[in-house]
Amino acid sequence: MTAPAVGHRDTVTVKVLGVFLAGAAVSILLGVYGDTHTPTGEKPYNLIFTDTIQLKVWFATAAVALALLQVLLAMRLYGKINWPRTAPSWLGDAHRLCGTLAFLVTLPVAYQCLWALGFQSTPTRVLVHSLVGCLFYGAFVAKVLAVRFHGLPGWSLPVIGGIVFTALVVIFLTSSVWFFTDRPAGLPLF
Amino acid sequence: MTSKRMTFKRVVNGIEVVAVIAALIWVFMLFANDPSGGDATNAGPPGAATFASNCARCHGADGEGSIGPQLAGKVAEKYPDVADEIAVVTNGRNAMPSFEGGLSDEQIQQVVEYTRTGLGG
Repeated sequence: MTAPAVGHRDTVTVKVLGVFLAGAAVSILLGVYGDTHTPTGEKPYNLIFTDTIQLKVWFATAAVALALLQVLLAMRLYGKINWPRTAPSWLGDAHRLCGTLAFLVTLPVAYQCLWALGFQSTPTRVLVHSLVGCLFYGAFVAKVLAVRFHGLPGWSLPVIGGIVFTALVVIFLTSSVWFFTDRPAGLPLF
Repeated sequence: MTSKRMTFKRVVNGIEVVAVIAALIWVFMLFANDPSGGDATNAGPPGAATFASNCARCHGADGEGSIGPQLAGKVAEKYPDVADEIAVVTNGRNAMPSFEGGLSDEQIQQVVEYTRTGLGG
């Protein structure tokens, strides 16, 4: 292998490692904050909802819906689905928009989780939610960096994007779905 | 590129900038509103700190209820025998986890006492 090719491969490896390390750092920092910060137990906002928990449940549901749309748009961008037959020129921008809006909608949810509730290890559902919640934002940072770096391997964006989406779905299953199916009697849905 | 397409692109770019600013504000607020590091001499009654760290997330900062039921003004009525409330905290019940092992017997007794007196129970 010639020297320039080896140098190029090293550069790509460094970029990939850098992206994953940046994401890992964010995840770990959020976990450390959640674990060391004293939870306030407060409910800072509920907008039009009965309580903060309902706001969080429905905001998380909206985030998953937007993320699902983003995944479908990505599948069309990568040619994995053929509808619409001719991909409109704004598809990439629509994909970006869905992801950005999904991220924005998660912020008030995650703020109350981290600031008011903190990292919890029991029960198992909450432990998984706590761990994957931290993972989500690390993966999101990695995804944003991967989009902006040129020269990354072709698999990097779909893999990182897949991790972001999977993390969000797990968070949704361990919170909103739990609320919809198993919430204490008398707790309103909205 | 058509003007509509350019407008849409600009809108998306603008929303991304808003998202970055929102994320920075979010991080700032996590630390700016952090009540951690309070004065040990101003810790409040025994059980208050334990309540804030372990119970407030579900029962509310003042025991007013949230995911978990209201405790303030209610818990002593529901559990006239304090040993029954201690048993619930120790062993858990339904969606409430067990705190055995996570809290010492003394901490459990203090936090139970706090819910019955400190919260107006």
